Amino acid sequence: MNPTPHLSAADRAHAIVLAVGSMLVCAYWVAFFRTDLTLPKVVHNMTNPSVAHLATVYLGFESAFPLADLLVAVTSALAALYLVGRDAKAVLFGLVASGALGFLAFIDISFNLLHGFYAPHNLLKDGGLQLEALINIACVTGAIWSIWRLWSHPLRRAEDRPSMVGKSELGFDTAPR
Amino acid sequence: MSIGLPVACMIAALAVGLVTETGARLFNLWRYRSPGYLVINILVMFVLIQGYGVGWVIGGRHAMRGIFPVLFMVGAVVGILFEGVNEHWLHAWSWSDRPILGVTRSIDKAAVVGVAWGLAPLATVMLARLMIGASLKA
Repeated sequence: MNPTPHLSAADRAHAIVLAVGSMLVCAYWVAFFRTDLTLPKVVHNMTNPSVAHLATVYLGFESAFPLADLLVAVTSALAALYLVGRDAKAVLFGLVASGALGFLAFIDISFNLLHGFYAPHNLLKDGGLQLEALINIACVTGAIWSIWRLWSHPLRRAEDRPSMVGKSELGFDTAPR
Repeated sequence: MSIGLPVACMIAALAVGLVTETGARLFNLWRYRSPGYLVINILVMFVLIQGYGVGWVIGGRHAMRGIFPVLFMVGAVVGILFEGVNEHWLHAWSWSDRPILGVTRSIDKAAVVGVAWGLAPLATVMLARLMIGASLKA
């Protein structure tokens, strides 16, 4: 069996970011279902009918995210697992996670901008919206950084390690020459 | 006699853990370095973390329809990271030569089983709610 190649400090940091990122996605949804920490103030003001309508739209929109965030969290954790193991699948799962994260972040940003949640007078006085803006910025920045790093990573052109070497199921010889 | 959901979640998680580990032993999928790790795995990972931590804390108050992605997400992320810690540092259990769902490499097995951990809190909460329902009828 080939020994596992040395894990660089940058890859170790990247694996930690991926692992912590996947845990933070989980933490966000636990907080969403258990506390009011992540909710904007508008959600608590259901007495005004126009605000109540916006709050219903907001909650309906947010409730659609867990299944999509499941993909981000699981692929991020898988990318961390494979990156520590110096395995080429780290690039696959890392790019899937980063692409999905960026996509979801832009949908969220788009919704918040279109509905005025990110208007300065709302943003400055609402802790829930400030947290959401911070998460959006972190997601876009993290996704771009992760894609940039993985695309230039040596593992992108690497084969899967030992057990993939040999005859493939279709009979092609995949052994190194 | 009726039981509370936290207790039901822990009992259900214990049952899920015992069934999983018995199945793994019957099909020779993985083996523990010592029996102590098996006991710790069932009590800590299944009962405390997936049963009480994920099952009860997240799945204790909402309808399954809304909460199931979060239950699976948290269970799978915890599971993948746990399998990763074992794969790279802990080595408390190791894989047999037998493929799991056609997967043969050690790290791929850790990934597959890690994702499958997501099913543990789902099964736990569903089983716990069945137990609550049965105990209320009794």
